[in-house]
Amino acid sequence: MSTWSVARWLQLIQHWQLRKRCLHSSAMVSPWRFLSFLGFAAAALAKSSTGNSVLVVLDPGSSRDNFSRFFDGLEARGYELTFRTPKDAHPAVIEHDHPEYSHVILFAPESKTYSSDITPQSLVTLLSKNTNLLIAVSPKATPLTSLAAEFSLILPPPGTPLVSHFPERDTPATVIPVDVSPSNPVLSGSLPPVWFSGVPFAFNSNPHIVPILNAPPQSFAADSDADSGADAVVEAADKGGEGLWAGSSLGLVAGFQTLGGGRATWVGGVDLFSDEYAQKPTLDGNKPGNEQFAADVAAWTFQETGVLRVDGSTHHHVNETTPRDRYTINDRVTYTLRVSKYNPTSAEWEPYSGIDGMQLEFTMLDPHIRTALQPTPGVPGEYSLTFRVPDRHGVFKFNVDYKRKGWSYLQSTTVVPVVPPRHDEYPRFLSPAWPYYAGAISTSAAFLAFCALWLAGDSAEPKKSKSTKSD
Amino acid sequence: MPLAYSLPTDLSPATVVNASSLLRIVALALISGAAIASRLFAVINFESVIHEFDPWFNYRATRVLASEGFYEFWNWFDPTAWYPLGRVVGGTIYPGLMATSGVIYSILHGLNLPVDIRNICVMLAPGFSALTAWSTYMFTKEMKDESAGLLAAAFIGIVPGYISRSVAGSYDNEAIAIFLLMFTFFLWIKALKTGSAFFGTLAALFYFYMVAAWGGYAFITNMIPLHAFTLILMGRFSSRLYVAYSSWYAIGTLASMQVPFVGFQPVRTSEHMAALGVFGLLQIIAFAELVRAHVSSKQFQRLLYASVIGMGILGGLAIVGLTYKGWIAPWTGRFYSLWDTGYAKKYIPIIASVSEHQPTAWPSFFMDLQLLIFVFPAGVILCFRELRDEHVFVIIYAVVASYFAGVMVRLMLTLTPCVCVCAAVAFSSVLDTYINPVEPDAVEEEAETAGDGAVSASSTAVSTSSGSATKKGKKAAPAAQPGPLGGLVSTVSAVVSTKKGEKSRGIFGGDTRLAVLLNALGMLLFFVLHCTYVTSSAYSSPSVVLASTNPDGSQHIIDDFREAYYWLRQNTPETAVVMSWWDYGYQIAGMADRPTLVDNNTWNNTHIATVGKAMSSSEEVAYPILRKHDVDYVLVIFGGLLGYSGDDINKFLWMVRIAQGVWPDEIQEPNYFTAKGEYKVDDGASNTMKNSLMYKMSYYRFAELFGGNQAVDRVRGQQMPKIGPTLDYLDEAFTSENWIVRIYQVKKEDPLGRDLRTANAFEQGKRRKRSKPVARRRAIV
Repeated sequence: MSTWSVARWLQLIQHWQLRKRCLHSSAMVSPWRFLSFLGFAAAALAKSSTGNSVLVVLDPGSSRDNFSRFFDGLEARGYELTFRTPKDAHPAVIEHDHPEYSHVILFAPESKTYSSDITPQSLVTLLSKNTNLLIAVSPKATPLTSLAAEFSLILPPPGTPLVSHFPERDTPATVIPVDVSPSNPVLSGSLPPVWFSGVPFAFNSNPHIVPILNAPPQSFAADSDADSGADAVVEAADKGGEGLWAGSSLGLVAGFQTLGGGRATWVGGVDLFSDEYAQKPTLDGNKPGNEQFAADVAAWTFQETGVLRVDGSTHHHVNETTPRDRYTINDRVTYTLRVSKYNPTSAEWEPYSGIDGMQLEFTMLDPHIRTALQPTPGVPGEYSLTFRVPDRHGVFKFNVDYKRKGWSYLQSTTVVPVVPPRHDEYPRFLSPAWPYYAGAISTSAAFLAFCALWLAGDSAEPKKSKSTKSD
Repeated sequence: MPLAYSLPTDLSPATVVNASSLLRIVALALISGAAIASRLFAVINFESVIHEFDPWFNYRATRVLASEGFYEFWNWFDPTAWYPLGRVVGGTIYPGLMATSGVIYSILHGLNLPVDIRNICVMLAPGFSALTAWSTYMFTKEMKDESAGLLAAAFIGIVPGYISRSVAGSYDNEAIAIFLLMFTFFLWIKALKTGSAFFGTLAALFYFYMVAAWGGYAFITNMIPLHAFTLILMGRFSSRLYVAYSSWYAIGTLASMQVPFVGFQPVRTSEHMAALGVFGLLQIIAFAELVRAHVSSKQFQRLLYASVIGMGILGGLAIVGLTYKGWIAPWTGRFYSLWDTGYAKKYIPIIASVSEHQPTAWPSFFMDLQLLIFVFPAGVILCFRELRDEHVFVIIYAVVASYFAGVMVRLMLTLTPCVCVCAAVAFSSVLDTYINPVEPDAVEEEAETAGDGAVSASSTAVSTSSGSATKKGKKAAPAAQPGPLGGLVSTVSAVVSTKKGEKSRGIFGGDTRLAVLLNALGMLLFFVLHCTYVTSSAYSSPSVVLASTNPDGSQHIIDDFREAYYWLRQNTPETAVVMSWWDYGYQIAGMADRPTLVDNNTWNNTHIATVGKAMSSSEEVAYPILRKHDVDYVLVIFGGLLGYSGDDINKFLWMVRIAQGVWPDEIQEPNYFTAKGEYKVDDGASNTMKNSLMYKMSYYRFAELFGGNQAVDRVRGQQMPKIGPTLDYLDEAFTSENWIVRIYQVKKEDPLGRDLRTANAFEQGKRRKRSKPVARRRAIV
């Protein structure tokens, strides 16, 4: 109960602050520009569900212009970008334990040193405080490489980029066209292949990883694209292929949904976002999917798409409408959960009934009931279920735990005690007990009859009764 | 007729009677006052606070009763106890204590006396001790006379064996149960003496009150049948016995079944079968007596006896058969442990782990009863001299209770009243004999004329006032000269066994009298001093608040428990679940008002074993258990800094044993000892010990406290390693002033899905080993 309500309050407060900020900015706008601004304002309303301030950390070697399509696209969608280099102390990402930005883009894969506010630890802290991260790595060993391990991503040794000799093309072996899976929940529909160059990573088993782009099956990580001198490959080949970074199970772009709701996306090569790759025609001469892919990845990372939340849950006795603070065993109880989905185009939370396969558990230590929680027909965003409370008293929890790749996690826990019937809720008369009732009644009747006979009948010997009394 | 000293002769019998009864009332009032006052040490030394562990639950339940009414209390389901199982409180407690306080509370409030419910609870036990003194007086009066009754009342009023369970603040079932025990016994004796169904019914009603108040009612349930059975065996079956027993058993059993916690036990469990069996036997015997009165044929009577015995055997076999069939529950483990003292240790560590279930040490008999324990056998022997029905009762009571008191420390409580009664009988006999002014004639008297009340007649209540006499003595005292010869004879024979025809013996000189009397009074005086000393020093500590002495002699209060519990209350959400060993469950619920996993109502062994397992496993194993039970805080008691020996490390082996009982594959007791079999916490401790959650929580950051010096655990007297244990899955949340209570917060799962040890290592900047992709294919060999 408290879990969802706290989250909801936070969201309400955030919403309210957001509104206030919008009102503030629109108040500053002079009236004659107001109309023209209005169109912009609709677009400028936060696209993300968590805020629109973005800090971009760029390598000193690269400039904004290299990624102008990507960044302009973000700005057009309403994000406020702030740029700095890794070594700048200001603006800091986190001050007084408070994250200063809603999202951080780390496009500094070559930097070996950062100013003190960006460390692997502080990035994890940011993430746990619901700041989203978009992190690019490169074949170079940087502090970020060690951070990747915390996300269950296994990077190859330094200096081993992804290499693929197929399909035949005129680009270097490290610049690879990668087919995009059409069914990925993060991406919008099917995209043309994207250009990629950088490192792949293997996944440890971690359920929070959302693979977005996988390596082509023929590709592998090697320290040289020539046949000779590729030590990593040779070494792995000696071991029968063990430990080789190769094949389609490698990831190139992977999202990470944390338990707290923050999102991080790891990209094997920053060039994926560059203008150069966005314009480089694919092998069949078409426009590559890079631009759209980058926009989709950013939208997912910045919590525009695939964002769900629990608006609230209630429970009540089947014949009532208000929740009770306890239920009796074998009661019939209705549980209702309301879910909203964030709509980035209108920047509104809208009731969402599209979830399939959500389950409700009624748990005390172990789930006593686990059953599908179906959308209520006719009421958008509402999922409800009526069930019989088990014949077992204790402190139960209504538990909804919906975790799907690409979607934010839905969790709702409501604690409710289930009690045995009150002393006056048991049946008053039991039919199996009739022998006992009959016994009690017949004994009472016999006693009465005996008394009556004793008092009325025995008048023949008054003396004797007197004498017994005096005894 | 010579007298040792002169008595006033000009008093009218009525004056003597009135004066003596006034004196008795005054004496009883003073005894009540002393009984109450001596129990107030705890309030004066500390404050009006509920003591120990169980009283905290009783207090909490009473508050519910007082604020929400009886029916809400009856149906109270406590979701915060035994989380998440919950506890059906109404059906699992003896409500007598709470109901008593509730009634007193509503009466006082009805009189517009707004007394706080806490003060009622604190003062209930002293108040009832006064009633206990009165009921003991009544009981002993049935045994001997009023003077013995007054002595018994004085004894029970201040004897430490009873005070230990009834000081102010010790708000436990025993507080009222001893009163009920003695009063039920008194009514039973009264019913047996008079053969009155009225007193039998009264006994049944108080038996019901007792059943509603204390689990120890089984003692009455078995004592009265045992008494009745013994009387039958002694050939003392009478219609008085039949009426008394039948009315007590029928009404008492029906009434006791109205208590939800007892329910159908009186007809379903072995503990109650003796009462049922004796009831049946009485019916058979009564029927046989009836038939015998109407039938004259000797052979028919023989046949009848055969059939009676056959029916008895059949009835016994039926009970055995029903037990085998499972209709009658066999003896419970707690009961077995009364016969086989090693039973609990082997099979039910939970029972054995309670200190008050340990066998009694010899010194505690002296500590609790002082001189009474020496006079006690004399009183029992004096009972043999007369051996009326009620004396048989006291003898049985003495034998049974002595055995039980030897088996379990806590059953000292049931022995104490019996000891007081017997000691009072013995002591008053001595006083009677030596105060009695009548000196024997030199000539042998042969008149054995006086009736049965001889002893009481001659002795009188001289101990209370010179020359004043009791009910029967009123004839004797003023007319002392004519000669209560029988009284003399029996008195003398009570002390020195005389043989007729020999030269008469007796007490002639005043010096002899004085020597014995002064000696006896001195003993009584030392008894009072001992009681006061033991009460003030040993039995008046609330154990919630500890006291120590400063170097300058002033008292230093150690209030760590309440400090920690109030910290929990003020700083954690109301739904935060606190895990601790079960000893502290009631206190946490009462003082911190937070849900607990286990508490002193040890009804679920598995749940306790779960907590034991969590405490005795490593962090990695314990963490899923903690998460499964929604534990937010873990509380441990640590005495190593202060030298408080009742801490969790000393109880730790019981946790291990109880957990081992349920998970023998995962927890093994020998792993917690060193290779030499020692229980150590220092460098030499075994690895399992060092990795256990309990060890880590107790000694976390303990070494830092000594600033580089050698850290010493003052309870175990062992030197702790310089580098203490580290915690990955818990955070230290609170440690009380003297480190007695330490509270740890259970960390939430890592947002990145790592295990918390890894997350912690990362947080501290440790590099992790590089890993390689998992091989998906196996090389073909």
